[in-house]
Amino acid sequence: MSREILIDPMTRLEGHGRIHIFLGTDGGVDRAYLQIPELRGFEKFAQGRRAEDMPQITSRICGVCPMAHHMAATKALDDLYQVDPPPAARKIRELLYSAFMVEDHALHFFFLGGPDFIVGPDAPRQKRNILGVIDAVGLEVGKEVIGVRKQLRDLVAEVAGKAIHPVFGLPGGVSRSVSSEVRQEAAAAAARAIQFSQFALGAFREAVLGNPGYVELITSEAYTHRTYYMGLVDEANKVTFYDGRLRIVGPESKELLTFDGRDYLSHVAEHVEPWTYMKFCFLKDIGWNGFADGAGSGVYSVAPLARLNAADGMATPRAQEAYEEFMTTLGPKPVHYTLANHWARIIELVYAAERMAELAADPEITDPRVRTLPTVAPREGIGVVEAPRGTLFHHYQTDERGLVTAANMIVATQNNAARIALSVDKAARALIRNGQVDDALLNRVEMAFRAYDPCMGCSTHSLPGHMPLIVDVRDAGGTLLREIRRD
Amino acid sequence: MRTLVLGLGNEYAGDDAVGVLAVRALRGKLAGGADVVESAASGLALLEVFAGYDRAVIADSIRTGRSPAGTIVEVRLADLGLATAPSLHQAGIPELAAVARRLGMGFPDRTRVLAVEVAGPLMFGAPLSKPVAAAVAPLGRRVLEQVQRWASEDSSRGRPAGAGRGPKDTLTRGPGGARCTTTTRSARSSRA
Repeated sequence: MSREILIDPMTRLEGHGRIHIFLGTDGGVDRAYLQIPELRGFEKFAQGRRAEDMPQITSRICGVCPMAHHMAATKALDDLYQVDPPPAARKIRELLYSAFMVEDHALHFFFLGGPDFIVGPDAPRQKRNILGVIDAVGLEVGKEVIGVRKQLRDLVAEVAGKAIHPVFGLPGGVSRSVSSEVRQEAAAAAARAIQFSQFALGAFREAVLGNPGYVELITSEAYTHRTYYMGLVDEANKVTFYDGRLRIVGPESKELLTFDGRDYLSHVAEHVEPWTYMKFCFLKDIGWNGFADGAGSGVYSVAPLARLNAADGMATPRAQEAYEEFMTTLGPKPVHYTLANHWARIIELVYAAERMAELAADPEITDPRVRTLPTVAPREGIGVVEAPRGTLFHHYQTDERGLVTAANMIVATQNNAARIALSVDKAARALIRNGQVDDALLNRVEMAFRAYDPCMGCSTHSLPGHMPLIVDVRDAGGTLLREIRRD
Repeated sequence: MRTLVLGLGNEYAGDDAVGVLAVRALRGKLAGGADVVESAASGLALLEVFAGYDRAVIADSIRTGRSPAGTIVEVRLADLGLATAPSLHQAGIPELAAVARRLGMGFPDRTRVLAVEVAGPLMFGAPLSKPVAAAVAPLGRRVLEQVQRWASEDSSRGRPAGAGRGPKDTLTRGPGGARCTTTTRSARSSRA
């Protein structure tokens, strides 16, 4: 008898994911997938609106990473109006973007990866939450996460106008320059962030690398996919978040290609499946060959692990050191272990903090020339950044007045969708046997997609905002056999 | 005693906007009685917003599937429980309250959550559905009543009521960590 297990976070609106697990007659997993709904309708909504409103409007798409959308849209406006921001404007943007990355990665690591690795993957459910992490790392560390975050937010609010929904990105630059006092504040915040990132790295080393069971879990076949990886790199092929060229590295570590983000449509296409309205991105250069990994499948991945794999290293010293340790421990490159995303995230945290410090130390950042005024009629603009969860594309076409006629957006989760589907399926197959499905096993399946921190219809706020799970077990005829509720 | 009125939601996402619209309409009617904050941020991104307040009314949307769309439900924070947030996107108000209290950042002692039952799907740029649009004003009234009830409790005890500062237009940063009068109380002592 075939059964369906449904892990359904009921209380979200359209913004909820569902894991479907179909069991075959032998009690093993026949097929499993995650449906990730998104907030739809953006493309239509954008039509007829002023292009320069896009950085503000799109920053409300996601309640978690508004800065990423603000920045991708602002860069698309640079392209739309064919203006290069002055050096100080580029540096101010990257400074704030780095501050945002520090903040997001720090929160994610402690409060999201924490339950899996600091508290432990098989710890009792009532312990596996944010409070369990605080208990494990201590109050002082918890307070430091919040303290660093507050200092960064104050900086962003000072420069960008608002901490949560920035209002500073303009075509060709930013709305205001940075004073030398603010530069000093930025330097102080960066120094604290570096110290904290080093601490986070140490905490990870102690909690995870000191535990052979965790290392075994990370490197287990259940969480391994040999796919392509995409990420922005600088001229030296080092990881960059704000600007660069997109590089794709194959499962055998060979570079497939490097391209300008403006050419994304020549390299990225979307595959549609009948069971979801989610579109699965794949590499055109390879082609869609189903939900499979390997060099012959166009499935690729973005996010921290993908960025480390797509690059040749990190552009700052402490991050480079951490990168080398990572590759020595889990390599050879590319590292195919999905759960290594948590470690990769801390390495990026180190980089973001160090990059902030470099930018704050640069006197040019206080240059009052922060805007290049557009002079040409707009037509089409594409902006690309690395959001915390991976590559983000914004694409606008306008009429000569700058009113949007067409818009396209590819968020990190869409880039990752096919690999996430692979991850859920593989974890379920490896972990669920003989029809045995318990809490710990379901958690291990969830861990497979949690490592990506997928955006599930973000920017919706319906309470409680978190995710109780319903596990539905049904027979082939759809009859409910049992229901496990985990609120 | 300082009171926060927080409207949550994305005003570009159909019914999700209900909380924001309800509190926006209260601006001016609460002058001096409470700070009004609107936010499209979610979960832990709201951490600092609550610091320094003794009481808060949160206006939001909810989907329980147990009431028809447009119904206003009052939710006890304690009933929402604490989850293993599977994503930063899913860390909600209960997680936020727990973290804020444990870390001594301050979280209002008394919190009321008033939410409007909504129906999906959410579409960017969609208008509010009819039943939810009809609930905007009643939700605002419920929020207002709660603030007034607290204010009258204060005056009967001879305490000054108010926000302690003027109304804020939008969320910029939290009102600062200087006043964390609730920090020593545990979550258990909350009457939320």
